[in-house]
Amino acid sequence: MEKPGDHATESETLPHKSNDLENTNHSHESEHQSHNNDSTEKATPESESESESSQLSLTQVMEAVDDFIQSLSSSTDPLQEIPPAVEPFPETVDSLVSKMESSGLGRDETEDSAFIDAVNRISISVMRLRELNLDSTPVSSWLNRASSVQHHAVSLLDEEFRHLLDRSIENNNKKKNDHDESDNNDEREDAFPDFPPESIATLKKIAGAMISAGYETECCMSYETSRRHAFKEELSGMGYEGIVNNVEDVQRIPWESLQGEIASWISIVRRCSSVLLPGEISLCNAVLPEQDHAKIRKRLLTGFLSTVTIRFLDFSGAVVLTKRSSEKLFKFLDMYETLRELALAVEQSDSDLIHEIKLAQTRLGEAAVTIFGELENSIKTDIGRTPVPSGAVHPLTRYTMNYLKYACEYKDTLDQVFQHYEKAESDQTEPEPENQREDDEEYKTSAFARQMIRVMELLDANLEIKSALYRDPSLRSIFLMNNGRYILQKIKGSTEIRDLMGQAWTRKRSTELRQYHKSYQRETWGKVLQCMNQEGLQVNGKVSKTALKERFKIFNNMFDEIHKTQSTWIVNDEQMQSELRVSIAALVIPAYRSFFGRYKQHIDSGRHTDKYVKYQPEDIESVIDDLFDGNPASMGRKRT
Amino acid sequence: MPATDFQGSFGRSLLTLRRDQVDSSHHHQPSTTMEVELDSFQRQVAEKFIDLNASAGENNLLSLDWISKLLDSFLCCQEEFRAIIFNHRSQISTPPMDRLLSDYFERSIKALDVCNAIRDGIEQIRQWQKLSDIVISALDSSHRPVGEGQLRRAKKALIDLAIGMLDEKDHSSTTNLSHRNRSFGRVKDNHHRSFGHFRSLSWSVSRSWSASKQLQALANNLTNPKPNDVAASNGLAVPVYTMTSVLLFVMWVLVAAIPCQDRGLQVNFFVPRHYQWAVPVMSLHDKIVEESKRRDRKNCCGLLKEIGRIEKSSRVMNELIDSIQFPLSEERESEVKQRVEELVEVHEGLKNGLDPFERKVREVFHRIVRSRTESLDSLC
Repeated sequence: MEKPGDHATESETLPHKSNDLENTNHSHESEHQSHNNDSTEKATPESESESESSQLSLTQVMEAVDDFIQSLSSSTDPLQEIPPAVEPFPETVDSLVSKMESSGLGRDETEDSAFIDAVNRISISVMRLRELNLDSTPVSSWLNRASSVQHHAVSLLDEEFRHLLDRSIENNNKKKNDHDESDNNDEREDAFPDFPPESIATLKKIAGAMISAGYETECCMSYETSRRHAFKEELSGMGYEGIVNNVEDVQRIPWESLQGEIASWISIVRRCSSVLLPGEISLCNAVLPEQDHAKIRKRLLTGFLSTVTIRFLDFSGAVVLTKRSSEKLFKFLDMYETLRELALAVEQSDSDLIHEIKLAQTRLGEAAVTIFGELENSIKTDIGRTPVPSGAVHPLTRYTMNYLKYACEYKDTLDQVFQHYEKAESDQTEPEPENQREDDEEYKTSAFARQMIRVMELLDANLEIKSALYRDPSLRSIFLMNNGRYILQKIKGSTEIRDLMGQAWTRKRSTELRQYHKSYQRETWGKVLQCMNQEGLQVNGKVSKTALKERFKIFNNMFDEIHKTQSTWIVNDEQMQSELRVSIAALVIPAYRSFFGRYKQHIDSGRHTDKYVKYQPEDIESVIDDLFDGNPASMGRKRT
Repeated sequence: MPATDFQGSFGRSLLTLRRDQVDSSHHHQPSTTMEVELDSFQRQVAEKFIDLNASAGENNLLSLDWISKLLDSFLCCQEEFRAIIFNHRSQISTPPMDRLLSDYFERSIKALDVCNAIRDGIEQIRQWQKLSDIVISALDSSHRPVGEGQLRRAKKALIDLAIGMLDEKDHSSTTNLSHRNRSFGRVKDNHHRSFGHFRSLSWSVSRSWSASKQLQALANNLTNPKPNDVAASNGLAVPVYTMTSVLLFVMWVLVAAIPCQDRGLQVNFFVPRHYQWAVPVMSLHDKIVEESKRRDRKNCCGLLKEIGRIEKSSRVMNELIDSIQFPLSEERESEVKQRVEELVEVHEGLKNGLDPFERKVREVFHRIVRSRTESLDSLC
């Protein structure tokens, strides 16, 4: 067998102009290659098909290249020439490239792997050779051809890379068209991005090859461009383009319409947080799984996440600049919560982005605090001089309690918001709030509970003032009972508020209610009971008819008056209404019955009994039943 | 007669009486603390802009570094302005301050959109940075010799760079450019990244948004405060006007320097000379306008110094590569090496400066938002 050295001289004399590559070398190639076969094989004549000989030699050539690369690092002698086995390698790869150009990657895994192996080898050999900074002409001419082919090959890889990545967009669009227009998001295949595993495998191979070839930047740029485009399309499909993003324009949108935009924004950002962004992160991890590529991966992901996410923050930032008004509170809190989900989804990103999200949240939180504070203001400024007729529940009470109840649904978020606010405030050394209660546990732990209690205390104080507008102390008590009862019921009816306010607070309110009740009884019925007192009725051991008549008269007048007045009063809560009536009945009826039973006979004998004894004991009850109905009583109704 | 000429003779505007262009240090002590406050603000603004003029020097105007300084100055002035408003917040809800401040905030909101639009431009510059990175690593002269493949690689990146840096109005010439650069013959190299790619990925603004219109709206009706207003506001109208002018100028510079959608610099920007800061600001303004009219920068996509440098280096490199025949002579090799070094210099500057710059723009954004929300919250 001829030694490789003999052929070296031959290769030196060959012309090595790049333009002549294709034509001159092939014929020489086959000659060289055939001599490198195993000794058992006969030298193949030139007429043998080139493809067959190049196929045979590809593996062999690659092996030779491997040996060659090895020898480069270990050899001490400066390399003067390229081993004959390696010599045809650039052209071999080049023809492979041409083949792959027409067939494309992703069709045959074995083919792809072989191609990428070849590209990897040529990349490595080019890099190693260049590191050696050699001057020898045969080497540099081989190097030139090799680097040229390498660039050709990697450019093809780049194209295929992008092509594969872009195909997911077409697939997604096709899927959208195939689906029914029943816009049920839950039913839709929530796989994004939608790549079959074979594609991912190919993408992974290509990325690896490009990076090994030193084309990291190209690889990342292609990936980024394609994914951004895909993401934008996806957002567009969800209607994101329709959302006004311009800070200026957002200010002009009336709240009713803006609410709709916010709702769209929320659903889109949510979908991004739960599906799209995790999908992108997975894809990136799948395409660049190597530990060696961790930095590249991180950079790529970070850049991508920043670019696509920051746009969401533009909208929330614009919304938070609009005028504060109480109706906006809950939408702001919804956005706050949505951003929290978003922050979790981009955890892996860099601190800048997370900081931006937190800032956006802070702005929303500050606005929430202000708006909630508006509630306090609206209570403080509710100073109408006209008392609610009939002592009923005041609209302010209803409004406040309903607002608070709704707010409690956002208990945790509001707690976060107020914690943040309190911290910021304490940094500015504000004076301590006056009514700081130390007894309640919840008060100590929950910032939002503190706010709630403040509001309640303000409401109480306001109601106190309002109650003073009533001249009738009984009506005052009824008013306080009505409002107190409403507040208590609202709190008891919601676990969140109840837990937030704490047991002690609830008990205290109940006690207060009982006290109002007692006040009422005393105010209204004290004198009535007094006139049924036995004292002073007897003169010299005998019942004074005059005094008795007087007593009955007084009773009748009082009772009539109460009937007339208090029928128009309202007790809103049905249960409390009946409780009141029952308690009044329990107080008055036995007393009257005993009074009536004892003293009626003393008037019986005289004329005009009816003038004095207006009420039978049974009548009392029916009158009491008229009370707190809110209707003017029909007087003179008597049960026969 | 225009009211501006009579600044000095009205009401409590003692400040404006003392408005000499250059030197206010000779004047006697102002009698009230408010006047001290307002006066010190005017002086601070003036000092900042005198400083900026000085640091613009021969070659530093509109560099990343210089614009960052400008943004820092804005932040300082903004802070002091905020303090002034806070100190006199009792006045801000009464006329004319309510109107004047609300006007300022409306303009500042327009500025927010500019800040967001700039983001896209910065991203575009990042892409150019990556492309020049490719050129640099392809032609890495520490490894010799430069092979044909490396040259092709560099060439491809340079073409993409050239296309990417075209002003968007020059879209039609894109195809011409790619035809002209076919000297390396391989058909396959035609898949260029930049064909409208970056432009189509405008994330931050809607398609109809226009930087030049935004600037014009920002500048609309910005006039020296009327003497009535100055008097009625106890002089507070003046810092509002000052701050608005500074805001406008800063946004104008950003639009001038960084690529953005429908970039146009025709804005009526004029400050009456009696303000301490008028001369330095107008001087910078004029220098920048001059720069924009220079032949070699007339159609560029942004006046940022670094953009010009990249464009120049890459153009030179492109021409060099076009002229190369294989094998490379030593002379050629050293030429390539030199050009690469030039490119590296510009590239490094960008690499280190771009991220902090973006953060600074973001800070400006946040500060403007903050001052707006503070005023909103204080109204409640």
